[in-house]
Amino acid sequence: MSLLWPEHLDDIVEEFKDCFDSMERYELLFDYAKNNPNPLPVEEWTEENQILGCQSRAHVICTLDEEGLFILKAGADAQIVQGLMTITAIAVNGMEPVKVSKLTPAYVEEMGLKTALSPNRANGFLNMFNRVIKEAKILSET
Amino acid sequence: MLDVKAIRADFPILDRILPNGKNLVYFDNAATSQKPQCVIDAMSNFYENYNSNAHRSNHTLADEASSALENARNQISNFFGAKPENMIYTSGATEAINLVSYGWAKNNLDNGDVIVITEMEHHADIVPWQELSKEKGVEVRYVPINNETFMLDMEAFEIALEGAALVCVTHTSNVLGIRNPIEEIIRMSKKNNCKVLIDCAQGAPHEKINFEELGADFLAISAHKMAGPTGIGCLLTSNERIQEMGPFMTGGSMIKKVTIDGSTYKNGHEMFETGTPRIAEAIGWGAAVGWLEQFNMVDIHKHVHEIAAYAGKEMIKIPGIKIFGDPTNKDSSGAVSFLHETIQSQDLALLLDQGGYAVRTGHHCAQPLMDALGVPSTNRASFWIYNTQEEVEGFITHLKYICEKFA
Repeated sequence: MSLLWPEHLDDIVEEFKDCFDSMERYELLFDYAKNNPNPLPVEEWTEENQILGCQSRAHVICTLDEEGLFILKAGADAQIVQGLMTITAIAVNGMEPVKVSKLTPAYVEEMGLKTALSPNRANGFLNMFNRVIKEAKILSET
Repeated sequence: MLDVKAIRADFPILDRILPNGKNLVYFDNAATSQKPQCVIDAMSNFYENYNSNAHRSNHTLADEASSALENARNQISNFFGAKPENMIYTSGATEAINLVSYGWAKNNLDNGDVIVITEMEHHADIVPWQELSKEKGVEVRYVPINNETFMLDMEAFEIALEGAALVCVTHTSNVLGIRNPIEEIIRMSKKNNCKVLIDCAQGAPHEKINFEELGADFLAISAHKMAGPTGIGCLLTSNERIQEMGPFMTGGSMIKKVTIDGSTYKNGHEMFETGTPRIAEAIGWGAAVGWLEQFNMVDIHKHVHEIAAYAGKEMIKIPGIKIFGDPTNKDSSGAVSFLHETIQSQDLALLLDQGGYAVRTGHHCAQPLMDALGVPSTNRASFWIYNTQEEVEGFITHLKYICEKFA
């Protein structure tokens, strides 16, 4: 793991940095949203796993596999949030929960999507990311 | 006829280049308008040259601050055709409505009394009445909208009026841009001996509101949607109603005498303006009103209506776009709510922002209206005095591009 994000995320970060402009970056993000390898199906969206405070619908489930490694499944009706969560899942899935709990969203800024990190209360991604970190901390202590 | 180019020169923020290099195109005016330089200067001048508390100390700066606060009250109340002694400064329309609820309704309505509101109200004109209902047992009746015309169902309104004591209606919907038939609503309400509160937060930037001519009991107004600063607004009321009101918030400034045995209060607007007043904000609002007075509000409405109607006509041609409301209606305020059938509203807003276009997204603090429309949220482009046809043309081009690429 590099200082700021897991090494296996480097190619994705570069892919976004190579985009011509922000519209191309968002087009790429929409592609990630559509091709989430481990999504949280709508049937599994419940009040319990809903992220409150977002203006879009957003749900997160964090668990551990048999080896005690982190598994994130996320679903959102906004494609931009879904795309960012897909990339976050690629980053954290298979990591030790204690390492996940120390992750920052620096990769999002590096990808040229700083807007997604605004402290605007309606910000779906940041609310979801913070929930993942909180759950990782809890899971690392169990 | 407005000289929009000259008007734009008064708003330094309209020259803003966003971090992505795009020019700002501000279409979020129903949330808050931008401020002309004269408003910014008036507020800076207060802080630079005569900042002092008002109605307290006895020195030159205090006299200047007090005079400026009261001069602004005179100017603003005159603009709205109301008496300055019946204008109560508040933090905005929300506090003004709460003041009616806690200051008037709590003292004058009781268990079983009926308050009529509508499905298209902002939460600021819903939640205070729900709270009063819990506390006093008053009944709150909701007038629905017609889902085809997006107008209030006036037949239902007439039925809801029966036995009602208070009617609270928005002048103009912040979501739909629909201007309600306020004059008719007031006439019908008065015929039924109802008191009337009109939420003018959205109406005041678009037409000349005159308290005396309208004949309502209460008008709630926000400064920040009509070129003034945030954090200030007012409640306009009548001699009769202000006499019936009790204190809402208590503390300094509003008292005649405080002893350890109890307190007595001042009369009129002073009873409701406790604590240090919003002096800079009042001065800024006065400057905003002075700036608006150079125009005929009919010309402002005509300009805004023309670009909103044009936007509505062009947007509806884009496959997947649905519009809520009727921006072509001659009375509409300039707010155009819309959705794309597959691009989620938050996504659409962020993609519009990439082109420099600032629009509002969400439930617009009008969830009962969202329920009536059958949607969780909408995007809303809202136009005002400084927006241009060219800006709308650019917006349509960018919206088309988004819909082609991301749908």
